[in-house]
Amino acid sequence: MKPMKIILVIGLLFVFIPTLSFSRGAKEEKPIRIALSGNPDTLDPQKTAGTLTFQVTKSIYDTLIEPDEKGVLVPALAERWDFQDDGKKILFHLRKGVTFHDGTPLTSKDVASTLARIKDKNTGSPHGAEFSPIERIETPDSSTVILYLSSPSAPLLATLASGWSAILPAHLIETGHDFGSKPVGSGPFKLKSWVRDNQILLEKNPSYWMPGKPKVGGVEFRIITERSIQVQGLLSGQLDVIDMYDAIDLPLLQKNPNVKVEKILTSLVMVLAMNTARPPLSDLRVRQAINFAIKKQEILDVAYGGGVPVGTFMDASDPYYVDFTSLYPYNPEKAKTLLQEAGVGTDRTLEMVLPQNFEPHVRAGQIYQEMLQKVGLSVKIRLVDWSTWISDVYRKANYDLTVIGHTGKLDPDSRLANYGTDKTYVRWVHPEAASLINKARGIMNPNERKAIYQRVLEIMAKEVPFVYVGTSYRYLGTRKTLEGFRIQPKLDAYDFRHVEVR
Amino acid sequence: MRIRIRRKRQKIQKFFLFTSTVYLCFLLFAAVGSSYLAPHSPTTQNLNQRLLPPFTEGKILGTDDLGRDIWSRIVYGTRSLLLIGTVSVGIALAGGLVMGILAGAIGGIVDSFIMLLMDGILSFPTVLLAITVVSVLGYGLVQVTVALGIVFIPVFARLVRAETISRLTEGYVESSRALGTPFPKILLRHVLPNMMPDLIAQSTVTFALVVVIEASLSFLGLGTQPPEPSWGLMLKESRNFLYQAPWMAIFPGLALAATVFSFNYLGDYLSEQLNPQRW
Repeated sequence: MKPMKIILVIGLLFVFIPTLSFSRGAKEEKPIRIALSGNPDTLDPQKTAGTLTFQVTKSIYDTLIEPDEKGVLVPALAERWDFQDDGKKILFHLRKGVTFHDGTPLTSKDVASTLARIKDKNTGSPHGAEFSPIERIETPDSSTVILYLSSPSAPLLATLASGWSAILPAHLIETGHDFGSKPVGSGPFKLKSWVRDNQILLEKNPSYWMPGKPKVGGVEFRIITERSIQVQGLLSGQLDVIDMYDAIDLPLLQKNPNVKVEKILTSLVMVLAMNTARPPLSDLRVRQAINFAIKKQEILDVAYGGGVPVGTFMDASDPYYVDFTSLYPYNPEKAKTLLQEAGVGTDRTLEMVLPQNFEPHVRAGQIYQEMLQKVGLSVKIRLVDWSTWISDVYRKANYDLTVIGHTGKLDPDSRLANYGTDKTYVRWVHPEAASLINKARGIMNPNERKAIYQRVLEIMAKEVPFVYVGTSYRYLGTRKTLEGFRIQPKLDAYDFRHVEVR
Repeated sequence: MRIRIRRKRQKIQKFFLFTSTVYLCFLLFAAVGSSYLAPHSPTTQNLNQRLLPPFTEGKILGTDDLGRDIWSRIVYGTRSLLLIGTVSVGIALAGGLVMGILAGAIGGIVDSFIMLLMDGILSFPTVLLAITVVSVLGYGLVQVTVALGIVFIPVFARLVRAETISRLTEGYVESSRALGTPFPKILLRHVLPNMMPDLIAQSTVTFALVVVIEASLSFLGLGTQPPEPSWGLMLKESRNFLYQAPWMAIFPGLALAATVFSFNYLGDYLSEQLNPQRW
């Protein structure tokens, strides 16, 4: 009997050892699977403003500089940079030994042609205007780029750290390469396949410039629009990461021992926007009344899964944020009085246009409607699809009220640009605010700049072209075994370089 | 043995017929007397009573994500449902009658032209066509009603045309014509009454289809606008709460399924009963 047992044990070992080592090896090669809530329109970083695109392209391309976890700008493709000539000249010293996915080395020429491409009107970059201070680009040697500016520009560095400033290879730009579907960059991963509306598969770039990174074999973006399906995917282990904007399924996720959920404050400003060009919303008293009629924390909790109220047009965690929440507390009586003074009754029905593909905004809209009805305003809801919302509401301002979230920006100028002029969708005109915003752009001293923005935010808090509801939380659900996943602050792009599976 | 099976089947049939009729009568009653059946307003929110399960705090079917009473929303939802159903079937019936009789009675190039148009409409998938019409007319209850009416005109037109042609060749019509009865009178006295059974059966079945498509359109956000209650809209809103509050989806879904089943069953039964010579 004894020999039999020994044979059995040895036999079992032979069976187990290979499987153990096999599963180990497979773990490293397996891509990280993450749910993406929609299909990116393109993978060309210079032809879109869509967050979905930058969430993917962050892994394919690099920028000269990038924000770290706290939002501080740190070196990426540029090792260091100096300001000269009172901020009118910026020198970038490029990292050496960086190659693109096709094997060509990165040089200053690539940076120069990329910036020229963005500034070129034919490229049609929605962010093109942010690069207008750049007058001339010089490349004295292969690893130095000099930008000459028409005037000092404080927001420019933040722009260069954003996904739309990703550096592309010059020789492919010349040939008019289609970066939209065949991206070539210097990033940690390269595109393997993209099945539209289904999945985007990236594989590891073994010669990435960060030593030892990335640690995983690849990234698989699964395009899943339904949040409940994403949740099920994470619970069953078919997904490693999901990124949610509401807390509905939180109890379900917290019960599962293989899943961890992290609560992160977003950089969104959730608003009820008012078309100030249309009566009666052109009357400040009516806008104030609407502000007094809204219980902001309740909207955040019920519609957006919790959050922090803000009193002005800046997200709660921004260094430029100033607290004005005490200006318009919930006060229905005051709202009614103000409406009476302004002579607004139920005879004038306000139309609230809601983007129907964003469930939380639709939910918030219905709560706003009821809250406004309680102070004697009659509101009618109209649902529209996203493209109609962009063209009808955002571009043509064909609405009375609408509900939306404003995404974060690395520099306050990107959020505030054009406010105070009739170019924004709220059509709020205030020459003082507009000139202050323009002035702040050229000021390099952070404290001086902060003082100006403080004044701008105060004007916006008092004049209320919006009901500033607050900054919501996002809930990042990951498998317990996953570590090192990051979301870039403000930009919301996913960073997989430090991810490892234990 | 065989007789017994047939009897059993008849019993089941009778049972279904009975429940379908009772259910539809109940729907009608709910639409007319919503305020008596529903204990709460369908649109009033109560944010302290969100996602209550059924049979708690006086909410028979529970509450939704904004604390609205689901039972009341279902009851009030019958109004838009029956209104859209009746009016759009009415439009389809009227349009189909005009087109069908014109095509069948005049014939020739008019017939070819009308039928070409009808076949053109029929060749589109119904929901797609309804979405197209709605996006041209705009979102909302009235637009959806008109869209669904237009979409179902061809179904009736084909039926009416076929009936008209076949009736006009019957012996009694020919003799009536020989006696000098004017043509419009022939249509009114002989042709129309004879196609009534078919039209009634077709209307009932179409009603079921309209109900489903209206729910689909509301689900897509094209039909009834929130916060007004509509079963399709309720299903749409329930999607995100499937794990937390399945009752938000189950009850409107059941109501919808039962409605469609009842209309279909009744339609089948009527066409069987009113048209004995066919079977």
